[in-house]
Amino acid sequence: MVECPSCARLLEPRLICPECKTPLAFELDCFAALGLPRKLQIDLAMLESSYHNLGRALHPDRFANASPQVRDASLRATALLTRSYRTLRDPATRAAYWLELHGYKLAENNQRVPPVLAGLVFEAQEELAELRDLDGAAGPDAATARARVQTRQVEVEGLLDQSSGALDRIFKTLDDADTGAAPPAELVMRLKVTLAEGAYLATLMRDLRKALDSRTAA
Amino acid sequence: MSRIFGIDLGTTHSLIAVIDNGTPRVLADLAGGALLPSVVAFLDDNRTCVGTAAVELEAIGDVNAVVIRSVKRYMGLGQGDLAPEDRQRYTFVDTTSPVVSFKVGARAWTPPEISARILIELKRLAEAVLGGEQVERVVITVPAYFNDGQRQATRDAGRLAGLDVVRLVNEPTAASLAYGLQKFTEGRVAVYDFGGGTFDISLLNIKGGIFEVLATNGDTHLGGDDIDRAIVEWLLADVAPELATDRRVWNRARAAAEAAKRTLSDAESAELRLEAGNRTIVKQLTRGTLERLAAPLIERTLQCCTRALADAGLQATALDAVVLVGGSTRMPFVERATAELFGREPLCSLNPDEVVALGAAVQAGVLMGAQSDLLLLDVVPLSLGIETMGGVMERLIHRNTTIPTSTTEMFTTAVDNQTHVDIHVVQGERELAADCRSLARFKLGPIMPQPAGLPRIDVTFLVDANGILNVTARDQRTGREHSVDVKPSYGLTDEAIERMLEEAIDLGEQDIEQRLLITARNDAEQIMTALRKQLKEYVELCDPAERERMEGAARKLAEARAGGDRELISRLVEELNEISRPFAERIMDQAIHQAVEKHTLQEL
Repeated sequence: MVECPSCARLLEPRLICPECKTPLAFELDCFAALGLPRKLQIDLAMLESSYHNLGRALHPDRFANASPQVRDASLRATALLTRSYRTLRDPATRAAYWLELHGYKLAENNQRVPPVLAGLVFEAQEELAELRDLDGAAGPDAATARARVQTRQVEVEGLLDQSSGALDRIFKTLDDADTGAAPPAELVMRLKVTLAEGAYLATLMRDLRKALDSRTAA
Repeated sequence: MSRIFGIDLGTTHSLIAVIDNGTPRVLADLAGGALLPSVVAFLDDNRTCVGTAAVELEAIGDVNAVVIRSVKRYMGLGQGDLAPEDRQRYTFVDTTSPVVSFKVGARAWTPPEISARILIELKRLAEAVLGGEQVERVVITVPAYFNDGQRQATRDAGRLAGLDVVRLVNEPTAASLAYGLQKFTEGRVAVYDFGGGTFDISLLNIKGGIFEVLATNGDTHLGGDDIDRAIVEWLLADVAPELATDRRVWNRARAAAEAAKRTLSDAESAELRLEAGNRTIVKQLTRGTLERLAAPLIERTLQCCTRALADAGLQATALDAVVLVGGSTRMPFVERATAELFGREPLCSLNPDEVVALGAAVQAGVLMGAQSDLLLLDVVPLSLGIETMGGVMERLIHRNTTIPTSTTEMFTTAVDNQTHVDIHVVQGERELAADCRSLARFKLGPIMPQPAGLPRIDVTFLVDANGILNVTARDQRTGREHSVDVKPSYGLTDEAIERMLEEAIDLGEQDIEQRLLITARNDAEQIMTALRKQLKEYVELCDPAERERMEGAARKLAEARAGGDRELISRLVEELNEISRPFAERIMDQAIHQAVEKHTLQEL
């Protein structure tokens, strides 16, 4: 328990004093900052409304006439709130953060091509190179190359959907298995692999989209 | 506590507004004008005049006065950022200081000091209208795409004007507040803000009184000014390209171009007439030609829109409303181009010149606690990062992150017994720090001598609600705060601002008398110039004795104008007016006769 510097009430560390509504600049984890349990599954509507309610109460706009100390606390608390919201809103960054809280690190080798995707990535790179070489030229060759990249894009879109579905299932399994102790190592491993695959697919998707967009512009 | 006012410090015009009982209104001066031209004229080293008087001085072409327009374009710039055309238009001081300074007589003026003159004029205008109420605390709007240095320069201008700048607000966001008050915009809104010197696009989600910016993009050197320049270049290109380097001709051509551009918002064709030396250039500008000249600039605004949409992950057609803001959106071409891009008719029901100032006043209301149902959540427009080993930019805060936001990085030493760590903060989207905008260099320390890698210093980069970066540092083990010695790359240091404030107090406020003197001198110059021209063109319309009388009166007026007696100048202006009236009437009669004759000849 800590003491509110303004009204001296004893409280759990949080961003705002429930008694006197003073913003508090405690260093909290992202879940605690938003007043949410440390779960992987989050109701996004609830997350947003929690963010908006706290934002309304904490924002520096509300304390323009307050003392420098209160203004500073409001600024820090809002910055933490915003960062927490962004971290938790996206399932991938939320999972990475959750792993960090449990003492795991997403390894540097996250950049490496996940083995199951190796074949797909190789073929996609070939198709992208082909499209690049034709560099916006008209004619049947360019049209074919473009069509191939488009087909690939549809495929990757489907894989991304599958990947996010897989992530949801692991989230549920891990939340159900949560006993307050360390999460099972095998599930953590599966989470990391799924995250790595999802991240790689997202990068690939960006490349495909960029290639198609720049050709359209040219 | 005193009220907070909203100020739109624009490239070509500035306004001040206030909110009364939930309704924002722009304050107009006693003559009814709300738009203060953002033009500052320097009469000598110490005296300035701002607004319409400065525009008139420019029109007369008084060689002794230095007239500065569009100073906003120079905010936060370094000498290395100046383009050849900037040096063609103005004289700058070459110093070792990284901040741009205009050379006026023996003095150097930085852009924040010049902007402060505009702010002081707005303050005076508001205080005169409100009678007795002081303007002390303000919200100032800035282009959403302004970088940290440009924002700091704006805040410095406020400080130099003696104002407490409670908040900087992004212009498109302010506009959305003004529109949002009318309640017909809920959902996803695009604000396309094309002003005199800057372009912004902001995409917002408006829900339950929360105005959340999803993404923003823009160009802080793209506006109506650039369209005017394109017209001037077109005007001079095939007839007199050599005139482009003559500052006075350029100023007149610019004024003519701007007037023609405005005419073409309604008309299909406008005449451009430019007197240069002993010749007169006349050209017809059609709307088609104007659109051809403006097309590359409009295209650049559309590219910004596309990038913002991509960042927000939205399709152009997914928006619920598109709002047009800024004087340049009066061009029918802009309306067409945006309607095509977004697939819907844009809204422009509020005066595009006033909407930003109105929104600033709404935000002032929020800050005063009067509008507690509204909340703005804006974003940082450009990524912030530090230069790492090898010159690579490491992003710490990504563009379009909601503000306020913060991030903490751990720094350590690279060699044994190192006592300082240097940190170079940059802003931009490029991979190499050298290609990004340098914001500041920080020196961390002194650090206790220890083996390399042992000291651990947490540095927190916090972007506040103004979009301005603050840096603090703390030793991880001792918890002790480290001092952070800031050297802004293109900004004024606190000491420089203190010095300028002291100098400004010495200068004193120019009083009403001085302003009236300037106006009287302008009147004198105008009547003398007109008379000289008429005496040359209509020699046959006056006899030698009359000519002698008029020239005598003009000489007396010229002498008085050089002195400081305003009443004498005004009296002699009246006198010259009286003496030359019969001559002026004859000129008018002749013109009418000729018109009638021409008419009859054509009928024959």
